[in-house]
Amino acid sequence: MFLHLLTHLRNDSMAICRVYFHMHGILLLIVFFVSLLGGCAGFRQLEMPPLPENAPPSHELAAVPFFPQEAYQCGPAALAMALSSSGLPVIPGDLVDEVYTPSRKGSLQMAMIGATRRHGRLAYEITDLDSIFPEIAAGHPVVILQNLGLSWYPVWHYAVAVGYDATMGNVILRSGVTPRKLMPFGVFEKTWARSNYWGLLVLQPTQLPATAKEKTYLAAVLGLEKARQFQASISGYTTAITRWPQSFPARMGLGNSYYAIGDLKSSERAFRETIRLHPNAGSAYNNLAQVLLEQGRYHEALGAARKAVSLGGPLEARYEETLREIKSHIIR
Amino acid sequence: MHPFRRSAKFVSILLIVFLSLIYIPVQSVFAAMIGTKAVLVDEEMQYAREKVRAFLDREDVWTALTAQGIDPLEAKARLDSLSDAEIQQISDRIDQLPAGGGVLEAVAIIAIVLFLVLLILDMIGVTDVFTFINPPPKR
Repeated sequence: MFLHLLTHLRNDSMAICRVYFHMHGILLLIVFFVSLLGGCAGFRQLEMPPLPENAPPSHELAAVPFFPQEAYQCGPAALAMALSSSGLPVIPGDLVDEVYTPSRKGSLQMAMIGATRRHGRLAYEITDLDSIFPEIAAGHPVVILQNLGLSWYPVWHYAVAVGYDATMGNVILRSGVTPRKLMPFGVFEKTWARSNYWGLLVLQPTQLPATAKEKTYLAAVLGLEKARQFQASISGYTTAITRWPQSFPARMGLGNSYYAIGDLKSSERAFRETIRLHPNAGSAYNNLAQVLLEQGRYHEALGAARKAVSLGGPLEARYEETLREIKSHIIR
Repeated sequence: MHPFRRSAKFVSILLIVFLSLIYIPVQSVFAAMIGTKAVLVDEEMQYAREKVRAFLDREDVWTALTAQGIDPLEAKARLDSLSDAEIQQISDRIDQLPAGGGVLEAVAIIAIVLFLVLLILDMIGVTDVFTFINPPPKR
């Protein structure tokens, strides 16, 4: 029962970040416990992960602006720094309504991602320790979620990692009310590990993360498409195609995004290009058929839809629906 | 009574016309496109299925399966009837295999094989396995 309560508390507080918590006596208690732990278990000094070959031993993105946070509002502050750094002039006050949940006294990770997308920026999630320094070296500040407390007494906090110094073993953060906080790597690693190394890159959709993985990147662009930021998703998919020219979902997404803004010509071109590279993709033929249908080119549409049905696959029922639809237009 | 009936008929015809006007264009515009998300999920599933299939082709896995009394060919045949979620689970486990061979890898392979065996047994009908469980007494 007690354990149950604890896990509940932990899941619940994923959302919360409290920075002015050190006024509470409880934190003193924790500090006491930590010092005890330090006494018996001993903290091993963690090494920094290897830097990419061409990365300098220390690097700092001094141009990232700083916004001091107000009580409990490290989420809006951290996101405002990242958005401004990506070329959008926003201040934390603009983001409070989008990000901050008053009842939880914090900001949910999903809200941070959603707000990023609503501003037409690509939200690329990081979930491992190895990506952060290559990203900083490539000029991308990283919004990170830390638990400054303990796993069973969490004190969640968003900060922006803007630099590192491998020789001194420090990570440089914009954190809370401190514009340039130097955190020893060991502490940084521990506090960040408690959020499973959750980090967020806020990028223009024409930018690629230094450590970009195809699936993660496409999921991020899909997020823009879902948020109906179609111009942004068009640039995102186009960027993905320059990096992964063979990517099937990227080309489908490009066609779908053009379709969503009503640019049927560009959409048609995207689906035809998809078919050229992936001649057995039923869904590309299906979408091409729909785009042709809406241009009134019924007979070309019929050909494409028939091809989709003949290729089959798990979505065959949908292709048949398209075919029926086209036939009904021809009979009419 | 009569005037009410007449107006009711009029209103219902009007409703039919308007409701179908609302419904038809929406259906014809959106029903047919395959969304990017469906494409991404589909691609991921195909990739996972290929990975599991390739895993079953490995010699050490083949040996481990045979040792568990499962015909590897039969196991492969049953892969197609596994749900997407189950395939994803197996594929995740394969991803977690320690690389480079050795004892650790062999142990991990057997763990995955056992998981596979359980899944396949499940499909054959687990009820036959637990024959020692007595059915509840009849009233």
